[in-house]
Amino acid sequence: MPVIEYKCPNCGSSMNFDSTSGMLSCPSCGRQDNIETIQDPLTQQVFTEDEAKEYQCTSCGAVLITDSQTSATNCSFCGSAVVLGDRISGKLAPAQVIPFAISKQEAETAFQKWCRKGLLTPRGFMTADRIKSITGMYVPFWLYDLHNRVEVHARATKVRTYTRGDYRYTETQHYDVYRKIRLNYVKLPVDAAKKMDDELMDKLEPFPYEELKGFKTPYLAGYIAEKYSYDERELLPRAKDKISGYIDSYIASTVSGYTSVSYSGKQIDTTMKQADYVLLPVWMVYYDFKDKEHTFAMNGQTGKVVGKPPISKAKVAAWFTGIAGVSFFSLKLVSWSMGGGFW
Amino acid sequence: MIRMRKIVTLLLMVLVLALPAAVMAEPADPVQNKQLIFDEAGLLDFSEYERLSTLANELGAERETDIMILTTDNPENQDVRRYTQDFYDEQAPGYDKPHGNTVILTMDMRNREVDLIGFYKAMEYLDDSRLDQIRSTITPDLSEGNYADAFETYIREAHRYLDIDPNENRDSGNGTGYSSNPGTGNGNYSGGSNSNVNPDNILFNVWFQLGISAAIGAAVVGFMAYRSGGRVTVNGRTYEDQSTSSVVDRRDQYLRTTVTKTKIPKNNGGSGGGGGTTRGGHSHSGSRGSF
Repeated sequence: MPVIEYKCPNCGSSMNFDSTSGMLSCPSCGRQDNIETIQDPLTQQVFTEDEAKEYQCTSCGAVLITDSQTSATNCSFCGSAVVLGDRISGKLAPAQVIPFAISKQEAETAFQKWCRKGLLTPRGFMTADRIKSITGMYVPFWLYDLHNRVEVHARATKVRTYTRGDYRYTETQHYDVYRKIRLNYVKLPVDAAKKMDDELMDKLEPFPYEELKGFKTPYLAGYIAEKYSYDERELLPRAKDKISGYIDSYIASTVSGYTSVSYSGKQIDTTMKQADYVLLPVWMVYYDFKDKEHTFAMNGQTGKVVGKPPISKAKVAAWFTGIAGVSFFSLKLVSWSMGGGFW
Repeated sequence: MIRMRKIVTLLLMVLVLALPAAVMAEPADPVQNKQLIFDEAGLLDFSEYERLSTLANELGAERETDIMILTTDNPENQDVRRYTQDFYDEQAPGYDKPHGNTVILTMDMRNREVDLIGFYKAMEYLDDSRLDQIRSTITPDLSEGNYADAFETYIREAHRYLDIDPNENRDSGNGTGYSSNPGTGNGNYSGGSNSNVNPDNILFNVWFQLGISAAIGAAVVGFMAYRSGGRVTVNGRTYEDQSTSSVVDRRDQYLRTTVTKTKIPKNNGGSGGGGGTTRGGHSHSGSRGSF
């Protein structure tokens, strides 16, 4: 049976992962189990490929309704936390996981606080307590170790000007510049879920890698988890794309002291040393405002919130007027102090 | 109705009282009659002459400076600068005293040259660079023969610059700032010639200031809107493995040197401006050129 559930050995309730203590805890009797010490049922079970794709809740027997990507969820009838074992085993087994450090309540308060901080956010949005749903989700990421061998050729110039007599001389020294660089990146995260907005996920970084733990299924209890939609080969181009800007700025930092540099040839040879499949904690907040749903994401460890809040035209106008007014006044002061008169 | 009549009566009374005062005020001011325009070359018709003369008298009085215009056909073919200097020495113009605050625009119609020179207060407030500015502003009009327009511009510009102290940084709104000892003697105003405040500086233009303010406002608000969705806080350093990353090989090979030279343009474009001293010993600022 690929559905895994955690029953409290004391009272039989469904146990969940508790982000505060980092333990598997029972909400009914308060029992807490250390995840590192309990046996992962996955290691004992082996699933066969042709196993039925219909999952049944082991608590109430209802059919679990899930996405094809979901690997952990709650039973929609009895609310028990269930993990779909075959979606996190074999090729789909995550290597590591960063558990949640922020609980649902903390996430909610932190999100409301963040809303109030928005300088352009409409007042109604700040105060309206309209969180439609807040979901703790383990988002699949690939952590890439990429080794790059970079070779660049460039033409650079140093320009010096001086005057002698009635003439201004411009002396340009031309250089041929060559750099060979070994540049390695480790644990570069790329989100592997089709559902997740790449831009949103990129902004959630950085995740604290010191919190990475060996994967154990109980971490997922009580949360939604997704399995990856793209494997590490499919996402390699996106990883390369992500580091190309980093590489460019590294190259530029090694070619200094010139007036101008123009690159004539740039060769970047990237090899993927390793790609680890990990699950990273993200709170997804769905917020209703003026008949529109806004989606926000919060880093489940650091509490960083990303997502586009609505923008208040009135506030934009007020800020614009204020800033432009102050600038205008300062310019007036500058012109006045230069002797140009106030008007 | 009674109230209406009262108001009308009051208005009439005011009018009756004010009329003689206004009429009397005209001849009461002797400054109005000063001759400031010597149009020997006959560039102006009578109405233009009247208008400019009144304007020069009015605006000059406000700035305690005689704003003068000379035009000549130059039958003796004198140097225009010498001609103006001699005029000042001989005629001894000046608002505050003979040989006092004066700015003179001289038109040499024979050689088609124009010369602007300023004495005392005008030397300080209308230094070489400001006179250059005025000259370059009016030269197109002079070339096209719009003398009256050019002279009016000259009078108004001189009036404007005479209000802006070239030395002190202060608000021009509080008067001319020339109350202390007008005309304390020869050469006392030489300190003013090193001014570099340019009233035509683009920073002083209201539209420029408005534009810049709007641009700053838009940029800041745009940035705020952009930032509102959260921003990327990682950079190349975050994921870089610094222990194994390094420059393996580098080469900076010198190839050659190229040199270009350009001639530095001379100031004043050869118009031979600048200040000087009259034969009578009065130093002045100046700007001359052809039109």
